[in-house]
Amino acid sequence: MNVRDLPVVELVFESGAKDRVFDGLLLVGPLVIVAIAVLGRSAITIGIAAAYLGAFVLHVLQNALLGRP
Amino acid sequence: MNAATETIGRDLGRILQALAGLMFVSVLVPVVWGEYYAIPPLLVSGAIPFVLGYGMTSVFREAEYPGKLHGMIIAALGWLCVGVFGSTPFLLIAWTVELAPAVLNTPAQTSTLAAFTSPLNALFESMSGFTGTGLTMTDNEEVLPRTLQWWRTFSEWIGGVGVIVLTTAILARPGSGSLTLYESEARSEKIHPSIVSTVRSIWWIFILFTFISILILWLAGMPIWGAINHGMTGLSTGGFSITDNSIATYDSVAIDFALIPVMILGSIAFPVHYLMLRGELRNLYADLQTRWIFGFFSAGSILLTAMVYFNGTYDSAFTAFRYGLFQYVSAMSCTGFQTAVDSTNVALGRWPAEAQLTVTFGMVVGAAAGSTVGGIKLIRLATLLKGIRHRISDVFYPESAVRRLKIDGRRLTQEEASREFEEAAIIAFLWFVFLGLGMFVFLTILPAGEYTLENIVFEVASAQGNVGLSAGITGPSMPTLGKVMFLFNMWIGRLEIIPVLVLLRTLFSRGGLYQ
Repeated sequence: MNVRDLPVVELVFESGAKDRVFDGLLLVGPLVIVAIAVLGRSAITIGIAAAYLGAFVLHVLQNALLGRP
Repeated sequence: MNAATETIGRDLGRILQALAGLMFVSVLVPVVWGEYYAIPPLLVSGAIPFVLGYGMTSVFREAEYPGKLHGMIIAALGWLCVGVFGSTPFLLIAWTVELAPAVLNTPAQTSTLAAFTSPLNALFESMSGFTGTGLTMTDNEEVLPRTLQWWRTFSEWIGGVGVIVLTTAILARPGSGSLTLYESEARSEKIHPSIVSTVRSIWWIFILFTFISILILWLAGMPIWGAINHGMTGLSTGGFSITDNSIATYDSVAIDFALIPVMILGSIAFPVHYLMLRGELRNLYADLQTRWIFGFFSAGSILLTAMVYFNGTYDSAFTAFRYGLFQYVSAMSCTGFQTAVDSTNVALGRWPAEAQLTVTFGMVVGAAAGSTVGGIKLIRLATLLKGIRHRISDVFYPESAVRRLKIDGRRLTQEEASREFEEAAIIAFLWFVFLGLGMFVFLTILPAGEYTLENIVFEVASAQGNVGLSAGITGPSMPTLGKVMFLFNMWIGRLEIIPVLVLLRTLFSRGGLYQ
């Protein structure tokens, strides 16, 4: 079975950003927030949150530099 | 029953069903937080609009697509209905705790929650939430059940993008009817040729930015529940808080500055966000509204900082900058988060008059059309200013000269320029008419000498601009007429007045009151 065929994943791929990184961030976002809520503030959760923001910013800059999504 | 009523009834039914869905989804919050007593009232609150909406949609299934008139009536009535039915969680949860049935194991009643046993207070809170205003009937948000804290936040988050945008995205219906409704909800620019694709793009951008906002606030030091709520209400430029003194409760420079980019994200139009996410960052300066956002935010903040610093309101230049920047961005982005409150610093209502009026200017203008903000919007201000300059300079040219008005890269013909200038002038005029009406009502009903004129101008502009900053007038003890006036101000402010006037004209015309 393809991951894309899972209900929520399928919905995001169909209605989402049509961009693998943004689609991925949309899918991972709730999991990151739940992880923070459950695990609390620690070096690991801070690292995960920072990585999420970093991935977003770097991808936008990459799109800008390459001139395409 | 005529065709118009059927069309309006069918689309109102859809909106009510979407609202019911939001309430059913929210049941997760009392389950997670163990507030089991809130589950029955929340389910009942969802069941009412669901049954009504399902009935209306079924009965009027075959109705025709809405035209422009229908679209405006649906938008005006839809937002009113969402405000009314969205108030039931406040009302029913407050009464559940008040009546304290033994089987539900309810907590002790608080004066804050007890305020919502009044239907008018519940309606005010709901309307303030869905219109993204943020003025509140609560004394202390911290003691509210988490379920209601969430419902306030959720209503603002949904309202920021738009109830009709939500309905169109969920109950996708391609065709001209959706476009008419979309435009009636104070939106005009499309991202894609298809309206369904447009609203879906708006939603993924909004959801992605919500995660970003939550994580920025959490990294700045806000607890996760606060980050979730403030991230959502900050991005939707709503401004409801879960703390007693809004953002001042945290008294954190890092959090204050972390909220600035969140509010700016909410101030930029979705089509521009879309282009920037696809890599076209030049829109930061190429798009007129986005360029003006940064210009106005910078100039207003510097001016406000200077006013509160040189008037001696704050001791240090940095403190003046911290509060001046935050309050101005919060006002002009129509968010309404407040850091200048009594317990930690100087309250906004006691700022110098010129500073309050500068903030008021920001609230009246607002930021970009096509974003989540209220106010007249920057594109209208640009149209008015450029239109006035164009008209004045007409005198210096011969009658035979062919001149084009250039706005945001578009070269408008004489006819197009006249139409856009007229529309901007009408909305701005009506804006000030209702601002004046609100001021008149508050000058009449408030005890003499308790509030200054600038306090009243500030508060009415805040309600009508869907901002939520308060000089201290709004609260559960406000006179009933004041609450009703603000309900009207918030409603017309969210829909940019015209749809509400169209609805009222239709009602009066049907009732024989308007000829």
